Amino acid sequence: MVQSQQKLDRVLVRVEELTPEKADQLIWVRARIHTSRAKGKQCFVVLRQQQFNVQALVAVGDRASKQMVKFAANITKESIVDVEAVVRTVEQKIESCSQQDVELHIERIFVISQAEPRLPLQLEDAVRPEGEGDEEARATVNQDTKLDNRVIDLRTTTSQAIFRLQSGVCQLFRDTLIKKGFVEIQTPKIISAASEGGANVFTVSYFKTSAYLAQSPQLYKQMCICADFDKVFCVGPAEGWKAPHCFYADTQNSFQTEIQTVNKQYPSEPFKFLEPTLRLEYTEGVAMLRAAGVEMGDEEDLSTPNEKLLGRLVKEKYDTDFYVLDKYPLAVRPFYTMPDPSNPKYSNSYDMFMRGEEILSGAQRVHDAQLLTERALHHSIDLEKIKAYIDSFRYGAPPHAGGGIGLERVTMLYLGLHNVRQTSMFPRDPKRLTP
Amino acid sequence: MALRELSSLEKFLGLKKPHKYSTQGVKKVPLLQSNNGPALVGLATIASHLAKEAKKPELLGTTPEQRAVVQQWLEFRVTRIDECPREEIRTVLKDLNQYLEDKVYLAGNSLSIADPLLYYAIHHIVVDLAVQEKERYMNLTRWFDHIQHYPGVRHHLAPVVVLRNRVYTSCHH
Repeated sequence: MVQSQQKLDRVLVRVEELTPEKADQLIWVRARIHTSRAKGKQCFVVLRQQQFNVQALVAVGDRASKQMVKFAANITKESIVDVEAVVRTVEQKIESCSQQDVELHIERIFVISQAEPRLPLQLEDAVRPEGEGDEEARATVNQDTKLDNRVIDLRTTTSQAIFRLQSGVCQLFRDTLIKKGFVEIQTPKIISAASEGGANVFTVSYFKTSAYLAQSPQLYKQMCICADFDKVFCVGPAEGWKAPHCFYADTQNSFQTEIQTVNKQYPSEPFKFLEPTLRLEYTEGVAMLRAAGVEMGDEEDLSTPNEKLLGRLVKEKYDTDFYVLDKYPLAVRPFYTMPDPSNPKYSNSYDMFMRGEEILSGAQRVHDAQLLTERALHHSIDLEKIKAYIDSFRYGAPPHAGGGIGLERVTMLYLGLHNVRQTSMFPRDPKRLTP
Repeated sequence: MALRELSSLEKFLGLKKPHKYSTQGVKKVPLLQSNNGPALVGLATIASHLAKEAKKPELLGTTPEQRAVVQQWLEFRVTRIDECPREEIRTVLKDLNQYLEDKVYLAGNSLSIADPLLYYAIHHIVVDLAVQEKERYMNLTRWFDHIQHYPGVRHHLAPVVVLRNRVYTSCHH
């Protein structure tokens, strides 16, 4: 067991760096045993480190004894090992590994952390595309099992790719906003009352009283605007800011490998978008739906099936997977939405869609305490409950607008996946509270 | 329901004077009392009679083979579609879609009485299909759109919107 007893004079090389350039060098690698297979006097092992794997070989000879070969063959899958080996080039490419041009000839192998022999799921099964499993009667792993054993499921190449991409998405958002002069803020997640007049879903005990988990940091972002921070964003469980189109181009360029890895298990069409971004007005959207045979009222909200159908119609007409739908009917938006100055039935609010699913809901907010009070009364909201909210606009408030984006939804839709739990590291839903 | 159809059919056939129909039995099978002979019972029978009366016997088929196919479809419509239970609708649509893959009309190369009668029968199913389902049953939708726009056929039924271009191009939905 490694208890940091001593500082080893070992330089660990990353598997992804094992290329013909290192040929004939003696190096150390720490990786997992992906597979091991004994064949007579030899044992073939595939060592895996995140998305990369390399073939390694223990052969009986002057460097390895028969017992060592047997030892290597019996190391359980997923165990972490330290291996001292010589890098050798190979004549024929090793198709099944990421490092195709080299293999390791092992001189010493140590088990650093042993895995229990019975794994709750096999990584090859977890990575297998759905259809393939049925045809050749080979197992795939269903989502619940994957989520129950998330630690192992996250080791698959697909999961690694998804979450590295997601991290990249988050970083790109941050970079883009910071470059535009935004200030990143941290907002409280425990609040005293509903800021939007909506229901409080999660109550927590708070000293001698109760409090609620914030559903959205919107109130605080708005307060920061009133406090002269001009442009703010916060990243956390709920909101962000609108995605500029340059984000899509950057993601495509920097994360090609990740996108391809995910597509191996979950094939999908590449994400398409227009520059400048397509902006449709709500009335146009309704007209397109009606032309397709959908019956709906002018001021009716879009149901999820209609949103998806509209996404399809927009894709067919404009060839884009991303668009903005602007000027929603006032009646279906929250009370703090600024009405449209030219038509009282509509509002300065918008939704953004990727592949026909909503990723952002936003609007110009009402920054006038008087108008805000009127709108709240119109929606029959108890003014007492939102007193602090309205108060923030009493002492000079700049006109402002904003929105919140789901990071996990964006990752899911960008990659063309179908379940947000795939892009949520440790998802929570009404039935799931662990891991 | 069947009576409205017969009235539409009469208009389509160009019959000036509408007949008076009555119904028979629990299932409300249409009945046409004729002056010189026994009553005609049943949608298929009455429809065939009307076609002859309108002096358009070609609508029943020009060759013996076509005539047989027309009758087969009239029977199909009455037995399989009119009382179709919900679980079977998908199968029926799939079968029709497959049949219509290489045909413009149900029987032969020209419109027969089978086409409007089947159109009347499945209208209530097709009108409720989502865009995606209509695309799945491509051939059926194509035939349906053709017949519903045929002069004189549609009458009392609501037009079903059929998009010109496919919107569900990939298999992923």
